[in-house]
Amino acid sequence: MACPDTKKHSATKRKFLLICASIAALYPISRFSGYSIPRKPRIVEITQSLPDGGFHLGRDFILFDNGDSTWALSRKCTHLGCTINYHEKDSILECPCHQSRFSKKGDVLHGPAKKPLTRYNVEKLKDDGGYIVTI
Amino acid sequence: MELIRKTFESIRWGEYSLLALYISVLSGVVVGLQYDPSTPLYSVSTLDMLVPFGAYFRSLHFYSSQLFFLFCICHVIGIFSLAQSYSSRQWIMLTATLPVALLILFTGYVLRGDSTGFSAGMIAEAILLDIPYIGATINDLFFSISENGMKRIYLNHIISFGLLWGWLAWGHVKKYKVAFNNHIILAISIFAFSIFITAPLEPDHLGVTHINGPWFFLGLQELLRYLPPLVAGVFVPITLLIAIAYLQTKNKSFTPLFLFIICWLLLYAILSIIGLNR
Repeated sequence: MACPDTKKHSATKRKFLLICASIAALYPISRFSGYSIPRKPRIVEITQSLPDGGFHLGRDFILFDNGDSTWALSRKCTHLGCTINYHEKDSILECPCHQSRFSKKGDVLHGPAKKPLTRYNVEKLKDDGGYIVTI
Repeated sequence: MELIRKTFESIRWGEYSLLALYISVLSGVVVGLQYDPSTPLYSVSTLDMLVPFGAYFRSLHFYSSQLFFLFCICHVIGIFSLAQSYSSRQWIMLTATLPVALLILFTGYVLRGDSTGFSAGMIAEAILLDIPYIGATINDLFFSISENGMKRIYLNHIISFGLLWGWLAWGHVKKYKVAFNNHIILAISIFAFSIFITAPLEPDHLGVTHINGPWFFLGLQELLRYLPPLVAGVFVPITLLIAIAYLQTKNKSFTPLFLFIICWLLLYAILSIIGLNR
């Protein structure tokens, strides 16, 4: 008959092994869940030309055209990722979650955000054919 | 005061919360028959506007889930003196059901995919990603909205978090059976309330200057304005959870812990009020 100490020791050992096995299992799970399939850049075509100083609000981006240049900014706030909105009257972009403010060029005007908005590539098509934004 | 305490303790909060949970799970199954996580906002809007009784079942799921959580809190307060006989392990496991229930409530809120739900999800993701070393893995497992949309959050809402809650609470709830017959008034109230009051849904509006998260998220949303995400979103909530987990009269630090919890909740309530009035 096994003495109680041996039994207790064996149970502790089993528990220890179980914990080790659980921790070891976390590695493949974390690698599996963390893998993201490389995705191609998303190309969005805007078929209408914007007037000088006009803008186009997409789901993920906002496109500006001031006649001389065109640029697109991500609508994801650099503070915590909420979707920012454009206030045409004040010419600013503002996050509705914590009211971080950005200029039309994407620079931070007012925190808590500290980083500027991400810029996307824009191609202006000839003959007022619209724009292609690469996200 | 003593009368109020005794009356409060005599109310069967535990049974009420289980009844609300049954209604929440059953209505959740019904909602899930039509809900599609690949198009969350479209799906919820369709439920509200097109699917016969869709708005009703969504409201029923929403309000019964909210009630379940609120009744759970009342239950913990109501049985606190009785629960002092529980072992530390039992108490920790049972109090851990509260944040898990809150997580289920929160993910349900995010799954609406409307402007506030989506923003709340993005904020949660940003908080997780701010945790050094393990943050990205936790996000990959539970949220990952930027990469996977609502797919993982939906899976966790309907399965993983439910299983976790069940594992934590099973030893406790298996002892109790709650019959609809014994709580007809409450059951009818929940069913009737959901007919008249539709669950909230806030579509994206151009030029929105301010959005508020769910009621339990307001204080945190406000705190994130002043503190880094790791401090406001992880350290501050964890202090409360640890304090509750060790709040047993047999612990020497009971009084300071109790005072800490009261102060924490008061501060959170003040922050929530500030957030609500912005």
